[in-house]
Amino acid sequence: MTEPLLRVDSLGVGFPSKAGVVQAVTDVSFEVHPGEVLAVVGESGSGKSVTALAIMRLHAKSTIITGSIDFDGIDILGLDDDQMRSVRGRDIAMIFQDPMTALNPVFTVGNQIVEAIQAHHKVPDDVAWKRAVELLEMVGVPEPKRRAEQYPHEFSGGMRQRAMIAMAISNEPKLLIADEPTTALDVTVQAQVMEVLREVQRETGSAMILITHDLGLVAGSADRVQVMYASRVMERGSIDEIFYESRNPYTRALLDSIPDLGGVRERLEPIPGNPPSLLNPPPGCGFAPRCSMAVSACSTVVPELVPVTDGHASRCIRVDDLVPVGGAA
Amino acid sequence: MLAYTIRRLLLTIPLLFIALYLVHVGVSATTDPLAPFYLCLPRCQDGYDQIVEAYNLDVSIWVRPFIWFGNALQGDLGYSTSIGAPVTEVLADRAWNTALIAVPAFLIGSTVAVLLSVYSARHQYSFGDYFFTGLSFLGLAMPAFVLALVIQNIFGVQLENWFGIKPFNTGRKTGETPLEVARDVFLPAMSLAILGIAAESRFGRATMLENLEQDYIRTARAKGVRERRVVWRHALRNALIPLVTLWALSLSALLGGAVVTETIFSWPGLGTAFLRALGDVDLDLILGITLFTALITILFNLLADIMYGVLDPRIRLD
Repeated sequence: MTEPLLRVDSLGVGFPSKAGVVQAVTDVSFEVHPGEVLAVVGESGSGKSVTALAIMRLHAKSTIITGSIDFDGIDILGLDDDQMRSVRGRDIAMIFQDPMTALNPVFTVGNQIVEAIQAHHKVPDDVAWKRAVELLEMVGVPEPKRRAEQYPHEFSGGMRQRAMIAMAISNEPKLLIADEPTTALDVTVQAQVMEVLREVQRETGSAMILITHDLGLVAGSADRVQVMYASRVMERGSIDEIFYESRNPYTRALLDSIPDLGGVRERLEPIPGNPPSLLNPPPGCGFAPRCSMAVSACSTVVPELVPVTDGHASRCIRVDDLVPVGGAA
Repeated sequence: MLAYTIRRLLLTIPLLFIALYLVHVGVSATTDPLAPFYLCLPRCQDGYDQIVEAYNLDVSIWVRPFIWFGNALQGDLGYSTSIGAPVTEVLADRAWNTALIAVPAFLIGSTVAVLLSVYSARHQYSFGDYFFTGLSFLGLAMPAFVLALVIQNIFGVQLENWFGIKPFNTGRKTGETPLEVARDVFLPAMSLAILGIAAESRFGRATMLENLEQDYIRTARAKGVRERRVVWRHALRNALIPLVTLWALSLSALLGGAVVTETIFSWPGLGTAFLRALGDVDLDLILGITLFTALITILFNLLADIMYGVLDPRIRLD
């Protein structure tokens, strides 16, 4: 096994508020290996994006961050502001959810890519501009020379997200974090943008954390999946382990709630209830109140994330009762 | 953009016409330049007749503005009785004096307002933020004449006449060295600047705060852009869009003459001239100054709209 590129260890992220600390991420540990794609899946508010922003250290100063983040031998949480700045965009780059608002409306697209390059490399303007045009071409923006001189509002949603991707890969980062990269896009361009993202990821050889709530997206693009719920990791494993041999009721419920065009399933099974409050969360497993398999012990102790096989782990006290029933595996 | 500008400029003609017509009728209806003559008639019949002729008092009040327009189009804005010179001369002289304090007040005021806005937005709820917020509320709450008097007291009396406050400023600064002019300008300009800073820094702070929370700020940080550049380039460049509009409007107001501040400092600008014209029923000067301020206001509004289009690529003027 190669040395992991990113090692997140018992990460906790809390937001102080008047009513108390909102614990958005609790005891999250995971690794990302060079070149691999880790999908992080979960509902809104499960802590996916908060985890990503913690890795980038883009949270407000008042945010309480505990645990450790080791990136390529660097202790991310121990860096000073300027050291962290030089990691951002160069070693770890991020693609945001909404390309409509993530680009500055008053600067041209080319200008903003040039800025990303020049933030880390002392290159003359014309060289950086040439590179920006190349990058736009690489992500499939037609007429990149002309488009580079246009403003974000002259781009469609899909084109803007391509521009965001171009910006993110401009310094060939070792790790790409894509936070719901297709959520804000029309369904028709989602697949195209995802294709571009996977292509550049393969070409640059960078590792990627793909944050999404769309399990359909995960199946085709990720190597491993991590399911999050109510600030914690619920299950982690390979695509097959998660999709066909899940050992966690939440993952199973999530899978049952997605439409399957090719399948024979007749009815979608929504998950009843709502996620728990992260401000003073109830004791026990966060999913217990909504879980069809819950027993009384579930609402008293938080289960550990226990290994099932090498690389597959699940957080459920009934993990042994959850042996795969289907014959898919 | 050119077609837009020309269209807007053409639109100022009816606007000016309506504004001046209303002022002309309003002032004519509420004042009577013949009042001093009623007691001495018929001995002063000659003077009475002169006034009637000078102001066309034998013509209907609704028609009189048109006679004034006719003369104005030929460059004749009449004669100022209160100052004793042609209105065009008075306007040129007074507008220059007003600009002498208005322009420095605007330049200093807007620069300081931007610095304070950025500081307060970056250090929201810090001691400094509360301090400047408190000061600007004080500035907003204080009437202009109180501020001017306090400044006069501090710099003219307590600090032993550093700035050479005179009972009367003598008009266009011709024989003076630039340093002497600057000394005269300093206190009235400072009063105007402080009033501007108080209002603009509040607005600027709110705009900066709003822009610093935008997604593109996070993107810029995620790219590894230096924080200073994030604030001064990404956030401020966007915050300037509404600020520039505010600036165009406040500069036009300043150039129209600050009645209160000019009066307290005995500054021979448009504001004091206007006050005197009103008191002496100097109809031609009232109209002349109205024409000037209306023109300035309309032009700067147009300038604000054009700047808006220049600063914000999403806005196209056509």
